[in-house]
Amino acid sequence: MSTAIAGLHRKEKVAAALVEMCSVRLGSSLFGVPISHILEIVGGARPQPVPLAPKFVGGLVHYRGDVLTTVSLRYLLGMPIKEGAQDILVLESSSGCFGLLVDSVGEVLTVSSADHEPNPSILDERRRALFAGAYKLKDSLLVMLDPERLDPMRLGVAEMAAA
Amino acid sequence: MPGAIILAGQEVGSNMDELTREFLIESQEGLDRMERCLTDLEVRPQDTALIAEIFRSVHTIKGTTGFLGFKRLEKLAHSGENLLGLLREEKLIADGPTITGLLQLLDGLRLILKTIESDQNEGTDDDAVLIARIEELQLPAKPKQPAHAKVAEPQTPAATLAFAPPPPPPVLVQAASELAAPVEEAPAAPIATQASAAAMASAEAEFDGSKPRPQVTAAAESTLRVDVTLLNRMMNLVGELVLTRNQVLQATANDPNLTMLSRRLDMVTADLRESVMKARMQPVSNIFSKIPRIVRDLSQSLNRRVRLQVEGQDTELDKSLLEAIKDPLTHAVRNSLDHGIETPEIRIAAGKDPEGTLKLRASQEGSHVVIEISDDGAGISPDKVRSKAIEKGLITADRAAHLSERELQQLIFLPGFSTAAAVTNVSGRGVGMDVVRTNVEKIGGKVELDSRPGKGTTLRMRIPLTLAIIPALIVRSVNQSFALPQGALSELVHVPPSQAATVIEWIEDAPLYRLRGKLLPLVFLDRLLVPDGDHKAATEKDNFIAVLDADGRRFGLVVDGLADPEEIVVKPLSAVLKDIGLYSGATVLGNADLALILDPGSIAQKAGVNLNAEQLAVETGVEVDAAKGLEYLLVEAAGRQAAVPLGDVLRIEQLKVSRIEYIGYRPVLNFEGQLLPVEDSGGVLAAVQDNPDAQIIVVVCREGNRHVGIAVTHVLDVAAGGDLFEAGTTARTGGVTLLKNRVTGVVDLVGVPPLPPGAAVHNDWNQIPETVA
Repeated sequence: MSTAIAGLHRKEKVAAALVEMCSVRLGSSLFGVPISHILEIVGGARPQPVPLAPKFVGGLVHYRGDVLTTVSLRYLLGMPIKEGAQDILVLESSSGCFGLLVDSVGEVLTVSSADHEPNPSILDERRRALFAGAYKLKDSLLVMLDPERLDPMRLGVAEMAAA
Repeated sequence: MPGAIILAGQEVGSNMDELTREFLIESQEGLDRMERCLTDLEVRPQDTALIAEIFRSVHTIKGTTGFLGFKRLEKLAHSGENLLGLLREEKLIADGPTITGLLQLLDGLRLILKTIESDQNEGTDDDAVLIARIEELQLPAKPKQPAHAKVAEPQTPAATLAFAPPPPPPVLVQAASELAAPVEEAPAAPIATQASAAAMASAEAEFDGSKPRPQVTAAAESTLRVDVTLLNRMMNLVGELVLTRNQVLQATANDPNLTMLSRRLDMVTADLRESVMKARMQPVSNIFSKIPRIVRDLSQSLNRRVRLQVEGQDTELDKSLLEAIKDPLTHAVRNSLDHGIETPEIRIAAGKDPEGTLKLRASQEGSHVVIEISDDGAGISPDKVRSKAIEKGLITADRAAHLSERELQQLIFLPGFSTAAAVTNVSGRGVGMDVVRTNVEKIGGKVELDSRPGKGTTLRMRIPLTLAIIPALIVRSVNQSFALPQGALSELVHVPPSQAATVIEWIEDAPLYRLRGKLLPLVFLDRLLVPDGDHKAATEKDNFIAVLDADGRRFGLVVDGLADPEEIVVKPLSAVLKDIGLYSGATVLGNADLALILDPGSIAQKAGVNLNAEQLAVETGVEVDAAKGLEYLLVEAAGRQAAVPLGDVLRIEQLKVSRIEYIGYRPVLNFEGQLLPVEDSGGVLAAVQDNPDAQIIVVVCREGNRHVGIAVTHVLDVAAGGDLFEAGTTARTGGVTLLKNRVTGVVDLVGVPPLPPGAAVHNDWNQIPETVA
């Protein structure tokens, strides 16, 4: 993940420090995923549950001829799991594609790296591991999600280490 | 001609320049060709065409290494070229030691190529010893004797490998003639060929016997190399198209305007799928071609004389499956040479031809490819197997005493079994036949063994044509669909809630089902998948037991419901889900639902179903009965028992009595579009006549070219029948058999009168022989 962040930082410098983020609202927080990491946004999907799978797995969805493993952002943030149709961000990480289950996807925001700050120290460890800092918007904060940190492989390893 | 596309890209790393990569692929193919020719050359040492072919392979390598700068490779190839030059000029004869030397040269070259592939350089090892040895072979001091003048007479046309003219190199074989037109029209495809064509041309410039030259150009223009990953992707997309087509067909079924269009889509999709599957196919000769070398080396080190016969080399199989059976095949061949075929002395003593025969045969049977490895060796001695199995603690002496010869032979598939008296470097490390079986079962295949002591052994591997699409039964559990591969499924049993309490038995908390008298361990899928869930008891729902055979384990998987069987396209799962261990993949069903594919072997393991010799005996138990006599289905019709020959039974249908219709007063059943006469001498139909909802059972049987149904109240059991002899005579009595020590009447299927043509009323409605109980 460090490489991805480093990559982002480099890009920010070159591209006049502007980054396009896809915004995602979940509960009261506003999250953002850099659109360069998003392959596609699939609306109204109903993931198929996988019995005995790790809890962070939100199920399977059919995506362009492949079967995609999804990660439930609600579970990762300790929020109650939502039933029914959800939106899925199809993300690309170093180990392949996966889906991120979110309540709903919002507009694309352009943020400046000048407004980026690292994770605050008072954040609990679980969230610190998932978030990649935050961007200060005019009237709110946009928490940045790093696809590398949400990769099911990585989460699986982390979960095993925790257990 | 699908074999024309050479699948490359798997073995060669991606981070090297195009030229080197092409060189590696070319050279590897050249060396494969050389290996084939060398084993042929041993049989026909005078064949100049073979020597020319080998010379060309080595020369091409040497030529290309020159400008790629691989000095070590060049030096070794050069020394080999010198030796081959002498052979070509007939100053030397290709005798045994020369061929051994050339094979060593081949191994040396391969090793360097491998190093280049992995490390991008040719390594620093010294080949001085090998080069010295090759140079030594060039000395004319050797007595010129036509050594090994065992010019085998080409006996059978089947003996294609060692005796037929050498197969032309695979790259060149499939000339333009058979190729699909679009490929030919493709704007020349010399991507792969520039480097090699140059090398080839230079080789042939100084080489006079340039017979396959025109073919070289033809092949270069009409074939192209395709990366396997691209083919996999195409397969994936075609699978997707098949699903979309299914949905389109469902959606347009009622629209007459779209019928023609959707039908066309249907046809094109089917053709496309077939073409892409074909593109992945490769002839089995790709793996068979390694065998002659193995046989040669092994027969020398083990002091055997072996003739190899190969049949059906152009049978095609999916590339990944071909890879998967390479090891089992090699292992089986080794076993045949090590344990099967005896030394010439022993063979002569046994009155056999001192030269043993090893046959490799590939053929396609429906959706499977059967690969047979048979030898005329010593066979598997049941006594040896028995004592070995007891010694290894795989089975108790008591138990072993009760096993038949066939069952004893099956013991060699148990893990940890190996009968080689001494551990040789050929086989006998205790990782034997169980590995062969496991590997073949992993790809959905089956292994059968047929061995006759003193006569030889045949090992048969049944391999599915493709892995990507498999037949599966869709089952329901925990409100989800799951796919169960048909390969592992042997039968299905329905246990309605009313019977669950009696037929599902428990030892403590282990559920068991009595399947034809044997206890079958049961695994409840819902309890396995959701261990802490709130599940309905077996007595509150319908239970379907899928009887599965996986990795030699037999168990019943209990599911809540069954849907139709489907041909499913297997999609891989992410590593996180693969680690769960229960699923081998996922698939998208015709109704666009996702279903996880269950892995019967892992389920057995997870549920603690163990493999042991007892179970093996259960598996083969039926065969033992079969050996004693005919098997019968024991049925009960209105209080009396009768027997139906099991071989004639096609299906057992439970249905409402209202489905029975009448032509005149003859009961008939519309069964899958066919009209069956229903035999009811037991009076089953009459007994429930007034209740149209009553359930009856119809046993559907085959009789000659027709099917007949027999109405019964219960199906009781399957048992082997014994012959009965009339007192005072040796004449066997007809129409009755001894079942479970009771004399039971056999239903006379032939006696069931045919249905009248049309609906005419027939009066000769006769009886089956009465049950003598």
